Amino acid sequence: MATTATISISSDIAPGFGGISESMTLTQAGSLVDIDSTTGFSIRKLSATGAVDLVTMANELVEPKDSVAAKIYIRNIGYRDVIDKSVGVTIGINAEPIGKLYGGDWLMMPLTCIDADDITVNPENDNTVVIEYVLFYEEA
Amino acid sequence: MATTTAAVTLTSDLMSTNMSVSATTTCMKAGTTADGLDQMEYGYVDLPTGDEYDLIATTPTASKASKLYIKNHSTDETYFIAITQNSQAIGKLYGGDWMFIPADFHDAAGDIAITANGGINKICYALFHEGTALVTT
Repeated sequence: MATTATISISSDIAPGFGGISESMTLTQAGSLVDIDSTTGFSIRKLSATGAVDLVTMANELVEPKDSVAAKIYIRNIGYRDVIDKSVGVTIGINAEPIGKLYGGDWLMMPLTCIDADDITVNPENDNTVVIEYVLFYEEA
Repeated sequence: MATTTAAVTLTSDLMSTNMSVSATTTCMKAGTTADGLDQMEYGYVDLPTGDEYDLIATTPTASKASKLYIKNHSTDETYFIAITQNSQAIGKLYGGDWMFIPADFHDAAGDIAITANGGINKICYALFHEGTALVTT
């Protein structure tokens, strides 16, 4: 029961930069045992500015274990095949802005999953935009 | 235009139908569709336990676009680094884990800070951005 994630980064900014290509298998904290729980793949449509919860940690059907090895993938997929790279959605944790995903941008990051650390999304304008996401975690 | 692309492939067999997601993005400057990120930092550090350190020494300009990659290259799966932004915990990267985020360096306190646990963690990082507030000597 494995979950894997591979990243490839290429760039011509710096001469000689050979790029990055790395893979990881999502495991439980401090072990080689595969991570075993997920929210499943979901989408959320947003049509107005203002921060809303993408993931409310206290409301998950299965309580994620706190402060271990959870990971989340989030992508701004635009709306109806229109991806605007000039407009973004700010991703936050517990009201702290982590960064802005412009159209087509994605992130993969670890999470604490403690109840206060909800994942929020805040569109830059009122145009409709869709966010896709999946959370992998350990059950408490 | 400088071009930086970041691709991810995510697969999982936790569900009855295997999941496979692939995505590629070109990293652009904030609010533009025509100009890519054009500056970067790339490093590899040994991080001792005991203190919290700022991973990024110079602060990228606020309200600009930045992308940050971090990988924990420690081979011991019990080792990890705890990552915070502006004192808000993000999460932990165990040996072998990586992350890629659009880091928001909204002010001087918005730096990404890391703390090693278990032993000396080996950290690779790359920051792609569009400008930093350089520190004069």
